[in-house]
Amino acid sequence: MIPEDEIIRVQGLVKAFGPRRVLDDVSFSVKRGEILVIMGGSGCGKSTLLRHLIGVVQPDAGDIFILGRNICGMDEDQLAEVRRKFGMLFQSGALFASMTVGENVALPIREHSVVDDTIAQLMVKMKLELVGLTGFEHLKPSEISGGMKKRVALARAIALDPPLLFCDEPTAGLDPIMTAVVDTLTLDLCQKLGMTAVVVTHDMVSAFRIASKMLMLYQGKVVAYGTPDEIQAMDNPILKQFVNGEADGPIPLRLSEGDYLKHLIG
Amino acid sequence: MIRDYLQLCWQSLYWIVAGPARGKPVKLSTVLRQLVLIGVRSLPMVLLLSFFMGLVLGMQSAYTLKNLGAEIFVANLVAVSFFREIGPLLTAIVLAGRCGSAITAEIGTMKASEEIEALQVLAINPVRFLVSPRVLAAVMIMPSITIIANFAGNFGGWTIGVCSLGLDPNVYVNRCFDALVFKDVWTGLFKSTVFAALVSTLACFWGMRVEGGAEGVGRATTNSVVSSLVAILASDVLLTGIFYFL
Repeated sequence: MIPEDEIIRVQGLVKAFGPRRVLDDVSFSVKRGEILVIMGGSGCGKSTLLRHLIGVVQPDAGDIFILGRNICGMDEDQLAEVRRKFGMLFQSGALFASMTVGENVALPIREHSVVDDTIAQLMVKMKLELVGLTGFEHLKPSEISGGMKKRVALARAIALDPPLLFCDEPTAGLDPIMTAVVDTLTLDLCQKLGMTAVVVTHDMVSAFRIASKMLMLYQGKVVAYGTPDEIQAMDNPILKQFVNGEADGPIPLRLSEGDYLKHLIG
Repeated sequence: MIRDYLQLCWQSLYWIVAGPARGKPVKLSTVLRQLVLIGVRSLPMVLLLSFFMGLVLGMQSAYTLKNLGAEIFVANLVAVSFFREIGPLLTAIVLAGRCGSAITAEIGTMKASEEIEALQVLAINPVRFLVSPRVLAAVMIMPSITIIANFAGNFGGWTIGVCSLGLDPNVYVNRCFDALVFKDVWTGLFKSTVFAALVSTLACFWGMRVEGGAEGVGRATTNSVVSSLVAILASDVLLTGIFYFL
């Protein structure tokens, strides 16, 4: 049985695309109110892991329990039921281009609750105020900057005050001040409202600021898992290189296999 | 692939019919907007093409009928062929080229920019939200446009009849109405409904299948128009056969 306060549990997750194992026996769990930061270099499988958690990709093996229910093998209706309880901030924002900012934030409210339109409008204004975008309701996503899109997407993700929030690179493309604002907002939501968050990022400053648990993926495997203090104390060369952002270390620069010289000469 | 397509058709129908019972009806505002995009905005082009087609049909039939001294039958020929065949066909082709391509490109771009995924994660069924309103709107508006196209085409035939063949304007109109029987009208409208369902579902199907950015959207749009045209003509053969032999 899954304990009541365990919001997410992932057990033995395996996913392969062709011969390449993108996720290799990944297991972890997240408790209520925690912020789990998943880090790792590009192509290490962190986005794929997140896509498993939100149920858009099915694993080859393993189980994912979200809010006590195993989402592997669920049909669309059952998934929709679980999805109603979490918010997701996409890396690109994924705002609906044909709708205004206000309509984007209002969409989950209008679809999933039976509130009056004036109340929906009010909720939209409150969420936009949280991300500092009051007064931008009537603009289309194409008329605002990339960073603003991300903030609107965050407002949409938390529109229904979900108990669980997934963020894919929430601070990529934001200026340092906005990064701090988004971090503070995530922290506030988790500490004051008991929300749980899973954040994928490679912004180390932001990661250490918000994380209560950290998980590092490397070549589809979990190489480190623990609190920020534990992570900083760990003596793992892969982890050290990533956290400190060094060019030299065990993580190779080149993703391709085979001999460079051979490839060059042909 | 055909199974995926049939599945999409079924789901789209399911949400149109069973949506209200599940408390998730297809959004009226979206349907209305699609009615305008698919129907009203297509009208100028449909009118123009039908009128041209009527002129051409008038001239071509007069070319043969003149030899028999039966120019007056131009009216019958244009009326019957437009109501039974050319009206629905022409409108469907305009629908495929003008709206089908637009629907595929729109949904395809949404797919490429993760918007479809975002819908799923927001627990909003993409078929109910995107496909059903478009299919419903297309099926609702097509017969009306076809009727308008039929009249525009016959106006083309009338123009040739009156201006070039020297027929009496009133006689031409009367002959049109005499030539038509109810079956000509309803079989034409039935066809146009089937065409609308085919074009709209195919357009959505290709849009939902887009993989990989702008190139994928372009390829899907081509596929959408090509498969729509094939489907229109193939189903036309089938339906005409059924109506002819039964």
